[in-house]
Amino acid sequence: MNRYLKLVHMEVHRFRYLMLFLMGIILIFQVGAIISVLSDELSLKWENPAYSSVRQPFVPEGMLSFTWVISQTNFYFIIPIFISIAVIGLYIFFIWYRDWLGKSTFIYRLLMLPGARCQIYLAKLTAILIFVFGLVSYQLLLLPVEKLLFQMMVPAEWRVDSYWPEVISANLALDMLLPRNVEQFFTIYGAGIMAVLIIFTAILLERSYRRIGILYGLLYVAVHVMAVMFLPDLLGIGNPDSFLYTDEIVGLVFGICLVLLMLSVLFGFRLLAKKITV
Amino acid sequence: MVIRVEHVHKRYGLRKVLNGISFTADKGQITCLIGINGAGKSTLLHAVMGLTPIHGGHITIDGEAPGKQVYERIAFVPDHLTMPPGMRISESLRFMEDFYKGWNMARAQELLQFFGLERTERLGNLSKGTTAKFSLMLGLGQDTDYILMDEPFSGIDMFSREKITEVFTSDLIEDRGVLFTTHEIAEMERLMDKAVLLQDGKIIRSFDCEVMRYEEGKSVRDVMREVYQS
Amino acid sequence: MGTGEAWASVDFNSRDPVYLQVVRHFKEQIATGKLQAGQVIPSRRELGTLMKINPNTAQKAYKEMEEQQLIVTEGNSPSRITGDEEVLRAIRSELIGEAVDAFVASVRKVNVPVEELLDLVRSKYTEETNRQPKSDGGGTSGDQS
Repeated sequence: MNRYLKLVHMEVHRFRYLMLFLMGIILIFQVGAIISVLSDELSLKWENPAYSSVRQPFVPEGMLSFTWVISQTNFYFIIPIFISIAVIGLYIFFIWYRDWLGKSTFIYRLLMLPGARCQIYLAKLTAILIFVFGLVSYQLLLLPVEKLLFQMMVPAEWRVDSYWPEVISANLALDMLLPRNVEQFFTIYGAGIMAVLIIFTAILLERSYRRIGILYGLLYVAVHVMAVMFLPDLLGIGNPDSFLYTDEIVGLVFGICLVLLMLSVLFGFRLLAKKITV
Repeated sequence: MVIRVEHVHKRYGLRKVLNGISFTADKGQITCLIGINGAGKSTLLHAVMGLTPIHGGHITIDGEAPGKQVYERIAFVPDHLTMPPGMRISESLRFMEDFYKGWNMARAQELLQFFGLERTERLGNLSKGTTAKFSLMLGLGQDTDYILMDEPFSGIDMFSREKITEVFTSDLIEDRGVLFTTHEIAEMERLMDKAVLLQDGKIIRSFDCEVMRYEEGKSVRDVMREVYQS
Repeated sequence: MGTGEAWASVDFNSRDPVYLQVVRHFKEQIATGKLQAGQVIPSRRELGTLMKINPNTAQKAYKEMEEQQLIVTEGNSPSRITGDEEVLRAIRSELIGEAVDAFVASVRKVNVPVEELLDLVRSKYTEETNRQPKSDGGGTSGDQS
């Protein structure tokens, strides 16, 4: 096992309880919401089999579908997902600062490891990605389990089958997290990764130059945010007189983002190797 | 075989911490950096270890700049914990074995015994004295040519101090170059080979202790009194 | 060898070179017969631990003692106290000489007639010897008076 993988393993090991905790929250909220919505509906149906609050296209009157359940539990799906996003957002900072602050300064040991320091950076980045995609896959696995729960609770004669794309688009958060086309996937997760890298570099700027580094870090983030926000307009997207076609502009912006992303990584490596201070 | 520090400058913002420091620490010798708190001792060790950038001068370890290529040859023992507090002692040993080729597990086991460290103990629960012993164990457990220690005696109970002093009279440091900092020499007076006195980021005196005693009949403490009180 | 107590109790002063104090300690042990001619002495590593000194200092002391022919090392076998009667005698007279020098230097300030002094020394010395038949007075106190 090489050094980088060992570092990744160690980073994952360090947030394992946090991740389990989030998984627990997701489970409790979603399963809890499904059970409560279904049992409310079912108890009314047991009393009066003709009763139905379901108003859905393509679903016969009086029948229940998993898609309907998901659309009814929107709020309880979004809450734990937002909590997870917030926690990961904070953890992007914590994954670095925990090594400097507090009772132990693990950064001493990390920097003194006999190997390229960029491995520390890459290991932390990989750990964050594992955190994100770990939770996304967990959500993906949880859906069939929740569907099974639905099938167990609802008698077969009141059930209609749902298609997965329709289930996912029935929920705002799921629709965003689990894009159905590659472009959308790259846009959402690419932007996410880019944000993580920019924040990483900003953190390393602060850790290298300390007080004045805060300013450098904020400037660094601001420049990138501006670039991404204004670049498409600057290139004339949506402007019929533009020199470039929309597809070309999108491609160009994508390319520029890729370059900025690479530069952020290289800059981070350099700070870690030459400028960082314990 | 030597750690060479030449004209090193370092500042934090506008404050100069190291102001043209030059000295050497030889392999096979115990060199002591003496100075009051804030004299720049720790910063100097950090610079030698490549844990903080310098703004002028050169540092070499056997001719090589500080960095990943030297971390198998030089170990650093800071005055605080450098492993996650949730780790157990046994896990930290495995960590060291995983990452350092020069980790000597047999010696580490002996050191655990010597210092009376419990393998199952969590690092975050160790007392200050025990933490110091643990850190020293991590440093000495590596087969390195040099070992740097930052204030190995500071704020530690008497029995831990005695135990740590014993290390300096043992084969654990034999043939290694030891460079350590302290603000009070106490029991190290007769154990060091070379003393380097720091004040305000400058070296104000540097001498071989035995030569000083032989030629001028002065103890390290005498020289300190002379230098810091004039 | 019965070494333990012969080494551990040494009180070093901080103004004389440590290695010379070690050499002196050896000489005292030899002069008082605690170390016998030909006796095996600890390795420098052991000596470092026993006397709580840095192994480099132990090494330096052994080198000095080899140069003074106090100890001999043949090949890989451990070092021993020399069997050379002449060297052993010389150590004895060196120590006595040093002690007397120090004594004379301090007593001269008082300006006592030599006869009176000798009588005083004789009676004090017999008294001391009778009181502690086994002890040599201990340590490196000689150079402090």
